[in-house]
Amino acid sequence: MKLHSLRARIRWTIIGLLATVLLPLGMLSYQRTIAEVDELSDGRLAQSARTLEALIGHDSFALGSPEHAPIDVPAFAADPKNTPRNARTYESEVGYQVVDRQGNLRISTSNLLGMPAIEAPDRTFKDVAFGGYRWRVFTLRKASGELIRTAERYDSRDEIAYALWIQHGLPLFIGIPLLAILVGWGVQRNLRPLDVLADKLFMRKPGSHALLTLENAPSELQPVLDALNEQIARLEEALERERRFSADVAHELRTPLASTMINLESAMHARDATASESALISATECLASLARRTEQLLALARLEGAPGRQPLNRVDLVAVTGAVIDEMVAVIVTSGVELSLAPLPDTLIVQGDEAALRALLRNLLENAMRHVPAGGHVQFALSQTRYEAVIDVVDDGPGIPAERRSQVFDRFHRESSSRGDGYGLGLSIVKRAAQMHGANIQLLDSPLGRGLHVRVGIPLPDDSQA
Amino acid sequence: MHILLIEDDPLLGKAVERALTQLTYTVTWLRDGREAVAAVNDRMVDLILLDLGLPNKDGFDVLLELRQRRIRTPVIVMTARDGLEARVRGLDAGADDYLVKPFHLDELAARIRSTARRAQGLSDNRIEVGALSLDMTTAEVSFRGAPVELTPREFALLQTLMERAGRVVRRAQLESSLYGWDSDVGTNALDVLVHGLRRKLSHDTIKTVRGFGYTIPLEPQ
Repeated sequence: MKLHSLRARIRWTIIGLLATVLLPLGMLSYQRTIAEVDELSDGRLAQSARTLEALIGHDSFALGSPEHAPIDVPAFAADPKNTPRNARTYESEVGYQVVDRQGNLRISTSNLLGMPAIEAPDRTFKDVAFGGYRWRVFTLRKASGELIRTAERYDSRDEIAYALWIQHGLPLFIGIPLLAILVGWGVQRNLRPLDVLADKLFMRKPGSHALLTLENAPSELQPVLDALNEQIARLEEALERERRFSADVAHELRTPLASTMINLESAMHARDATASESALISATECLASLARRTEQLLALARLEGAPGRQPLNRVDLVAVTGAVIDEMVAVIVTSGVELSLAPLPDTLIVQGDEAALRALLRNLLENAMRHVPAGGHVQFALSQTRYEAVIDVVDDGPGIPAERRSQVFDRFHRESSSRGDGYGLGLSIVKRAAQMHGANIQLLDSPLGRGLHVRVGIPLPDDSQA
Repeated sequence: MHILLIEDDPLLGKAVERALTQLTYTVTWLRDGREAVAAVNDRMVDLILLDLGLPNKDGFDVLLELRQRRIRTPVIVMTARDGLEARVRGLDAGADDYLVKPFHLDELAARIRSTARRAQGLSDNRIEVGALSLDMTTAEVSFRGAPVELTPREFALLQTLMERAGRVVRRAQLESSLYGWDSDVGTNALDVLVHGLRRKLSHDTIKTVRGFGYTIPLEPQ
């Protein structure tokens, strides 16, 4: 049987264990009782035989003459009412016989009359079947030649043993079901916190930041509670990120979408071809912006979706830089901004995720290019310090005042002087990618006099630290 | 009609400015919320189109500050936030209407008309004063039952005067409404425009209040 309830499992385990221990104990106790009663009764038979021996050896004791029939001693009290009540159960069926030197039966209790003579050595017990019963017979031989037998019926012995055992064993049998009920109650009571916890979890509202708590929580449940709270917190955080992300997506995509729609409709309503064409050109720009933001959002979604620790490979930053510059050729050529690269090292190996590093470099460069007016400059350099690979992007654009530098990483943020196009989005991609690599980002004053200097330091793998 | 567009996104700002100009509105485009509050505080404007989510000053704050300064200019809010909560908050903060991006130009135009109409206490898009009749939706004007061809500027001037028929409209307000704030308008540009309009209608349709402005009287001529 498969038990699905913890309560039933605990209850049946306890009851099972109790039964396993108590039943053999009961059996043992039964056997011990029988053996004890046997020994006790044997002792009594021997004692009675000796008492008889003492009596018949006394001078004043007349054995009567051998010609006469043996003295018949009633086996039981003639009047049961006079027998003390407490003695009834244990007054067993016993009998005595005395045989004289010549072998004549001189005294016998009536229940032993007609018992065949038993030849047994002195002071020995013998089991005899007689009169439909099994008897235990003790034989005592006097030195003068008389023979004394004392006997007891086995069934009356067993009755005593049985009665004794019932007295002691019965509570055990009544006790087991009673224990089962009590154990059930105890288990139920002690597992209450589980029910309370289940209720609390069930009633919990999504989005609630309240911690799960239990009054007097058992120490075994506390780790479960802690783990649950941590999981819930993580889940809520993920949900919150998700909500923020979709809000950002809405903002980042709906705005260029609105511009595109308005431009296209202006083109349709335009009075002349020039106005119509100019509106169409704007619509194309808006679509390009929409496409770019879509790409950025996808990149961000991929980065955000990536678990915090994922396997990092050896990536050559110089190669990644080359690939990014290739991708950006069109932007670089049409921007009217002069991009200059400091001489690159041959290789610069970091532990990283190539796609994330590519997104990082691309967005760093794009942000700089887009925030510098035509005719401006952007300088890019890769270098290596003792512990870090360093990426420097310097521009002579409008820059960001020192007091606002900490805010620019917010996805919604857009500097008022910017040419739009998801400044915040680009920098949050940079930030997320940097986080994945344990890298730090510094926003510094540009050495070109005006503008911004972004420096990203990516820790080097241990084996390539200089 | 002079519309102040407060929009930080260069592409959307340009698109809306172009589209509204095409629809004969005068548009001033500001990118910064702080700048906008200061500007509206000491100059005239007929309607404000406000984007929520501006740099430096959140659109909500701009709206609240405008209303705190008792500036009653009608405001239409444009936003990418479509949640019920955001809409209710926007309207409660004093917005007259709410547009969720992306929107159609036709809807934007209709909402501008309806908001302006409500601000003038009108119930439909037709204004009739004496023998003059003007339809804001179709941009048609008729005088004594006959249609009159007007240039966009003439139409805008006539609309402004008819909306405020019976009241004197100041020169400064008319100039702001027709040319915006920064355009370099010659001192007599307005007079030339009024002259042209009088020629197409009748000389006494528009009355001059010397040193102050112009008015279209409510009394039938």
